[in-house]
Amino acid sequence: MSSGTAREPKLELHQRVRVGDLLGPAFAWVTAAIVAAACLFIVGFLVVKGYQAVTWAFLSTDPQPSLVEESAGGVRIPIAGTFLLIVLSTLVTLPLSLGTAIYLAEYMDEESRLSKTIRLGLEVLAGVPSVVFGMFGLALFSLPIFTFMSSSGAEGASAAFGRSFLVSSVVMAIHILPFVIKVMEEAIRAVPDSYRLGSTALGVTKWRTIVRVVLPAASPGLATAVILGMGLAAGDTAIVWLTLGGTMTMAVDQWWEVQNYVEVLRGSGSTLTTFIYFSSPAGEGNAPNLAYGGAFVLMAIVGGLNTLAVLVGRRSSSDRNSEI
Amino acid sequence: MTTEETAPALQAPQPAFVTQSFARGRRSRTGDRIAETLIASAAVLSGSFVLLVIAFVFWYAAPLFADQGWPFVSTGGWDGQIEEAWEMVRVTFGALPLLAGTLLSTTGALIVSTVIGLGCAIFIAELSPKSLRRPFETLIQLLAGIPSVVFGLVGLVAVVPFLTRFVPADSFEAVADVPLDGASLLAAVIVLSFMILPFFVTVAVDSLRAVPRSYMAGGMALGMRRWRAIVRLQVPAAIPGLLAGIVLASARAVGEAIALSMVAGSIAYVPTLEYGLKYFPFMPIRTLASAIVETGGEAISIPAIQAALFGLAALLLLFSLALSVSARVMVAWLSKRMRLDTGRSL
Repeated sequence: MSSGTAREPKLELHQRVRVGDLLGPAFAWVTAAIVAAACLFIVGFLVVKGYQAVTWAFLSTDPQPSLVEESAGGVRIPIAGTFLLIVLSTLVTLPLSLGTAIYLAEYMDEESRLSKTIRLGLEVLAGVPSVVFGMFGLALFSLPIFTFMSSSGAEGASAAFGRSFLVSSVVMAIHILPFVIKVMEEAIRAVPDSYRLGSTALGVTKWRTIVRVVLPAASPGLATAVILGMGLAAGDTAIVWLTLGGTMTMAVDQWWEVQNYVEVLRGSGSTLTTFIYFSSPAGEGNAPNLAYGGAFVLMAIVGGLNTLAVLVGRRSSSDRNSEI
Repeated sequence: MTTEETAPALQAPQPAFVTQSFARGRRSRTGDRIAETLIASAAVLSGSFVLLVIAFVFWYAAPLFADQGWPFVSTGGWDGQIEEAWEMVRVTFGALPLLAGTLLSTTGALIVSTVIGLGCAIFIAELSPKSLRRPFETLIQLLAGIPSVVFGLVGLVAVVPFLTRFVPADSFEAVADVPLDGASLLAAVIVLSFMILPFFVTVAVDSLRAVPRSYMAGGMALGMRRWRAIVRLQVPAAIPGLLAGIVLASARAVGEAIALSMVAGSIAYVPTLEYGLKYFPFMPIRTLASAIVETGGEAISIPAIQAALFGLAALLLLFSLALSVSARVMVAWLSKRMRLDTGRSL
């Protein structure tokens, strides 16, 4: 590390091939092969096992409370739950993260104390384990004043139930917030200053410049941020397990009917991640084939979101290159 | 980048000029001001969520620590106590086995993923043929995107049965106090290693690439072989970044709940070497995070269990706070040292 190491080799200039010089690169190649093999194994395993499990019936039936795998139903509710959670948590996180990112990137002096404090807060928030968020959310939203967000729990109970799609999405939104803000801020900062100067020179106020010029220019990056946040929300289990409940079904049987929407949002349910957890041999359901199927669908959704994020991100960089 | 260098000079006169002309402007800026106040409050709100979480968790955990004090972290006694607490029996919890499980699995996974990850990062940053570089980076991203429950599932149905075959046959007689199985410390370390590996590799590759090429060129001009130049010059120069990667990976490992609750055996037990080394890897563990997720849910309606789970959450939060702080301190300290050493920032 010190500059001494740089000078040391002068003494060993001989061209003798050392064993380490050959073993070292071999080691690097082997580790890379191990990582590739592990990755391909996981994906291959899920494709092979999951492909057999995924049928139309599997996708279009609701989970049934049954200990026999053949009659335990499918993943219609978990898929709907995953999308519901993604959409709701994005709706909550979007205004907060966009506002914060704009403020941090455009208004704050980076050296100011407030800016440093906010950044520190976000950094620590990003390091909080999701299971802690789960406990936090469950206890917070069990307080009686939050009864409107989940059902009132047991008859005559003084506490709220604390588990519902609304609760879960709010907690999930806080969990993904720091990651979304980070990507959004980078996207806003990447907009060239000439854009801002040009607009300001035309007499446009700072806020309108941001809304009309900076944000549209940064929109692919902002979209990437939101999509990455969605991927995080779709893949998390601990928050959902604690704040959406361990039940696999929705609060009402006819959950797709409009008049039941409020009850569904205030009720517990499941997502693909909790479905996999529940159906795995470690869970109560113990229906491994359903778990494989669920994992296959989940990987397709998460993989699709991540690919989309990459594609959108790539478009943004090529756009800017062609404009300038 | 020329834009970055010229931007401050161009921007400097802007605020005074713009505000002066528009303060006297015809159009009212009330709308702008409202919007700006709104985003300022959004920023303050986002920055203070973490205080809310910390305050809430410690507030709920406080009665437990006041009641039980130090023995909560220094003694054993979890699984049985949870069951008794369901019966409304007054119990004292001991989280020592959970702490031990968290520390052992995290340390093991860090060692494995640092060794494999460093090799892999050197491969991606330096050694790989150009045609393999992109595919490998994609693979690492793919690995980073796999949800933890999927790691748990694959670990449970593939890794655990594989390990079960290596459990010593006489374990039932030899180890009296706990059943040994493939679902064990070893399985936890293996699964956790691959979960945290991509986070370390991504940071490690970036920091290796950030080392100026002149280092390598200088070393090789002095007759160093490529590998020696990498190990003696490039890796040492990248150490701040590598340490940051390790901290990032350990933060993930400490907080991992779901995958470990599936593969680690889920018995609150302190693995011990007293029976011999060959039994040690197959001993079951339960970690802080997985204990929360396994017990949480319905059980939170029992006040004693809720307090105990918040005690665990407080311990986890302390871990992640310590990691965040040490990451900042370490990176600041090391990068300052690097600047002094080399006269340029890395």
